Amino acid sequence: MVDIVLDRVTKRFGSQTAVDALETTFGSGQVTCLLGPSGCGKTTLMRMIAGLEVPTAGRILIGGRDVAGLPPRQRDVGMVFQYPVMYPTLSVAENIEEPLRHDRSVSGGERAKRVDEMLDVLDMRDLRDALIDELNTGLRQKVAVGRAVARHAEVVLFDEPTTNIEVDAKLTLIRAIKAVTTRLRQTIVYVTHDQTEAMTLADSIALMEQGRIVQQDAPRALYAAPRTRFAGWFLGNPGMNYLGTEVRDGAVHSPMLAAPIPLPGGRNGQVVLGVRPEWITVGAGRAEGEVTDCVIGIGGRRLMTVRLGREVVRIKCSAAEAVAPGGWVRFSVPPDRVVLFDDKGEAIAALTQGVPA
Amino acid sequence: MRRSLYHAVLWLVALIWFAPVAWIILSAFKTREDILATPPKLLFTPTLQNFRDLFTTNASFVVQFANSVVLSLVSVVIAVAISFLAAYAFSRFKPKGTDFLMFLLLSVRMLPGPAVILPIYLMYAAFGWKDNHVALVLFYAMFSVPFSVWILKGFLDGVSIRYDETGRVNGGSWFHVIFRVVLPQVKPGLIAAFIFNLIFVWNEFLFNFVIGGVQTQNIPYALAVGTYSDGGLNWTFIATMTTIYILPPILAIYAFQKYLLVGMTFGTVRGEV
Repeated sequence: MVDIVLDRVTKRFGSQTAVDALETTFGSGQVTCLLGPSGCGKTTLMRMIAGLEVPTAGRILIGGRDVAGLPPRQRDVGMVFQYPVMYPTLSVAENIEEPLRHDRSVSGGERAKRVDEMLDVLDMRDLRDALIDELNTGLRQKVAVGRAVARHAEVVLFDEPTTNIEVDAKLTLIRAIKAVTTRLRQTIVYVTHDQTEAMTLADSIALMEQGRIVQQDAPRALYAAPRTRFAGWFLGNPGMNYLGTEVRDGAVHSPMLAAPIPLPGGRNGQVVLGVRPEWITVGAGRAEGEVTDCVIGIGGRRLMTVRLGREVVRIKCSAAEAVAPGGWVRFSVPPDRVVLFDDKGEAIAALTQGVPA
Repeated sequence: MRRSLYHAVLWLVALIWFAPVAWIILSAFKTREDILATPPKLLFTPTLQNFRDLFTTNASFVVQFANSVVLSLVSVVIAVAISFLAAYAFSRFKPKGTDFLMFLLLSVRMLPGPAVILPIYLMYAAFGWKDNHVALVLFYAMFSVPFSVWILKGFLDGVSIRYDETGRVNGGSWFHVIFRVVLPQVKPGLIAAFIFNLIFVWNEFLFNFVIGGVQTQNIPYALAVGTYSDGGLNWTFIATMTTIYILPPILAIYAFQKYLLVGMTFGTVRGEV
């Protein structure tokens, strides 16, 4: 098993900086998801790890070996793309086997064994001899996963593999990817802009914004304790509520809080109080707002939009707790479920430590 | 009704176009008197005497035919191989000034032969390359490259770069990617480039006449020179040689016609082949 170390990796396209002096480590045998909005540089970063792009500056180390100058096939990486590209005239088994033929150290028997093993894990035994032309995109992508993984490369890269796949097939594919990754313990980097996918698959999520990793953490930690407002907003559906809040006498005062939260360092002025819609308790509390909208979400849970003074708060609650639009609702938030941000949008560290995952 | 009328028109046009070809082929099997008879004879006793004459009295014919075959096949194979690699580079790496270079290439092809014949002749004479097979092959290959690059670049642009990338990250070498992954997908383009250039070199007269010589004479040269050899137009000779001459391209085009149709669109229309 190997880790991937990125040492001040930079990539510029003309005057545009896609990846900006990025420094991080993707853990050995772990699934790291690169998550971020379109154009944040996550795909470029992955293509540099694969060897399809050459970094403008910086080093990329795979297992301690600097690979920045090596062609893709000497890097011991496999990759699955957004669009499954296959040999259309070959069968499923032959497509999985094809890359193994480039590796002289793999004997014929070993090849057959690995193909069988892969078909088992992917649950595609009965499609062994089917031609690629007969498969839909979802199944083709599964074959692509098998092909990339069967080589037993130390690193496997996934570039938004589920983007072009219909919803049903998507779940099957994610399950297949999960099965494959837990089985082989290869070091995996998975690019996605779908947070559900990242939450399901990742051991660690690296959240990217404008060519930088803004936070790299376990999924729950990233969700519970975002280090920037961007992270809080990007994860969660909808993202965090942000409320401008006054700091008086060294403490944060908000109608949503039962008691003021003391702020170390004794600063005064404004902070931003971040709270996730599902962390808010409905029914009691000092805050009272008018419900302007109430929609049904996943599992029958309700998402209410509540006007609290000049601010808008979104609250997730059960059907029983929900109030119809036009009604008024009381709510509060436990002090340990609050993340405070300063005026630069960065979390005030001292107060985010205690947030439970 | 409309449809059959349409077909009738197509047949009529095809027959009118084919008539001169038919006249030449029929004449190859006629005696000299039959060829020149008025009104033209449609019913006659076919004879193979003309072919016998061609092979016995005209000793250089076999060499000329062989020259035509060798010159066109070798030069076009070289040209298509070079062009494929060049087109791959243009299509994938997009070097600075690709558009200009492509324009330059095409303009080479647009030049009329007579415009460059003098400099080429002087160059070949200075190098001592006249009447040399290798030198002629080089020239024909050079002349076939521009068109082949154009047609192949069109086809290669139609092959997504995803194929290349998938091949490369899954352990394939450049060689594997270019020849095993990409090449099979542009087969129609390769065949179209091959046939079009084959026809060009097969029909080439001017340069063979000027920078070629006794050893490199091809059939167009033989036709042009032999036509008047008899103190008049030697019709049996013309008809017989032309018949043999047009046969290989017709067979080649017949065998590959579906690729030619795709090729004529420069690969911009991705037909089902």
